[in-house]
Amino acid sequence: LSPLFPIQLDFWLAPRGLGFPVDIRVPFPSLQPVKAHLEASGVSYSIMIEDVQALVDEEQTEMLRRSRQLPLDTNTFNYEAYHTLDEIYNFMDMLVAENPNLVSKLEIGRSTEDRPLYVLKFSTGGTNRPAIWIDTGIHSREWVTQASGVWFAKKIVQDHANNEGVASILETMDIFLEIVTNPDGFAFTHTSNRMWRKTRSKHSSSICVGVDPNRNWDAGFGEAGASGNPCTETYHGPYANSEPEVKSIVDFVKSHGNIKAFISIHSYSQLLLYPYGYTSTPVPDQQELHEVSAKAVEALSSLYGTKYKYGSIITTIYRASGATVDWTYNQGIKYSFTFELRDTGRYGFLLPAKQIVPTAEETWLALKVIMEHTRDNMY
Amino acid sequence: SPAMELPPSHFPAGRAAAVAVGYLRYLRGGPGRGLELRALRRARRQDINDVGHKYYLELELEDVLDKGRTVHCTAEVLYHLGSKSTAPDVQVTVQGELRSTEEADKEFYNGIRSLEKELVAENIPDSHGNVPPELEPIHLLAWAASGYITWQNSTENTKFHLAQVKHVKQVKRSDEDLQFDFVLLLHEMVSQEVIPWEVTLLWHPRRGARVSRDRRQPGHAPG
Repeated sequence: LSPLFPIQLDFWLAPRGLGFPVDIRVPFPSLQPVKAHLEASGVSYSIMIEDVQALVDEEQTEMLRRSRQLPLDTNTFNYEAYHTLDEIYNFMDMLVAENPNLVSKLEIGRSTEDRPLYVLKFSTGGTNRPAIWIDTGIHSREWVTQASGVWFAKKIVQDHANNEGVASILETMDIFLEIVTNPDGFAFTHTSNRMWRKTRSKHSSSICVGVDPNRNWDAGFGEAGASGNPCTETYHGPYANSEPEVKSIVDFVKSHGNIKAFISIHSYSQLLLYPYGYTSTPVPDQQELHEVSAKAVEALSSLYGTKYKYGSIITTIYRASGATVDWTYNQGIKYSFTFELRDTGRYGFLLPAKQIVPTAEETWLALKVIMEHTRDNMY
Repeated sequence: SPAMELPPSHFPAGRAAAVAVGYLRYLRGGPGRGLELRALRRARRQDINDVGHKYYLELELEDVLDKGRTVHCTAEVLYHLGSKSTAPDVQVTVQGELRSTEEADKEFYNGIRSLEKELVAENIPDSHGNVPPELEPIHLLAWAASGYITWQNSTENTKFHLAQVKHVKQVKRSDEDLQFDFVLLLHEMVSQEVIPWEVTLLWHPRRGARVSRDRRQPGHAPG
């Protein structure tokens, strides 16, 4: 039939021999001629699918709907996609519900727009154990960071269940993870402006909105390396800790009193940075932090060959005042680091979703180096 | 004064390297080639009295469509003294050959020329980092155009990257060039600003890419 009819018949079950059935998808314009030919030849046929396109369309709709639907548990959650604030907050609740003996959710404050600021606590017990702090998403447009934070949360739970990886760290230390450190900004990147960086506060009589939460900390606050103009991306705010997103962490860190490592995660540029940003005076622990960075970066690279540079903020990237880890270091948290994750500018903030998991996996190796060094060098 | 050795991991060398790469990306980039910095091997800086600061760089680049190959380059970047309106002088020497894009260029050229309606697109990549395969050549052309903007507007206190192609509109021409009117979003690393920039890019398989017009869009979105 096929050579006689150059009319694009698509055989889903090809001819095998006399007496064997054949399944054919027939394009619409060829329907009549094919039917006519079969009838004239006395070949019986039945219609299995009236409209293949309709089925394909329905599948497409279903796939789209499923990808937006709330997953049933953290095993069906899609780690290879970017999610909304609601989806991430739902993920946290599922993770806690599935692992009540390991994970709890703390509300450390409310954002300017009154969104809850949630921190996940991973603990196997004890009272106020020495702790590691990790935050992602302080700059809302850096989407690979919140997505990595979600992956880290699941990874911690998995390691603990399999008694590998960070399970040994959890024997003596707690891990605190704030996945969406700037929820107002994050919501805004979904609804209005994908490139939004700052918080969504309005302080002055300026029409401009937002403070750079990584210039709002009380370490060299207001000095060179931040802007006093509310309409700029590095606006430090009217005073240190003016932003509830920052103040809530400051209050948490001070009242906890036993945090030993503090890691704040950003993108992009592929850098591992330690203090200071506000001064070129090296930190007293410069040599040790530099050595830990070298080891962490080597571990990161070992997975996919991703190249990182490392050094102090002020020498490696730029002068920045009021930065998170400058404050935490000055509080006595020696192992204070900032990451800038993938990539180096080809996609920048718009990192393809398929790079989320590889980025999280390699970054986790570096985080483990820092966590293990902290545990093994307790102070 | 003599040239001083600079640590490649420190930002002054990195910023000069970005200018050199932007310049080369503009010169040699196209719908089938996107050049990116893989590693900065060595950097030196020379302060020339009454002239400016000159950087000498040894770079390893790669074509994002041909990552297996290393492209070795040397570059010189001269930032003019006290000048915000003069582009840095850049010279780049590429060792060896870049992978040929003749076929891909021809295919792209013929494809665009045969379009009935002028191509229009926006948000490349989209929020999730997706670039539809048929728009990848447009993304690479925009990246080449952004190389021009980077080169023309860089100082020792800036570092530009292409954040997104906000909008692109093809404009049919009576001559043999393809014309694309872009609105690009440029991310400037030091100020962290994302700046909309109108760029008109002409492209031809043999003549390559040329920016015929560019304009930084005025004003700043307050929120």
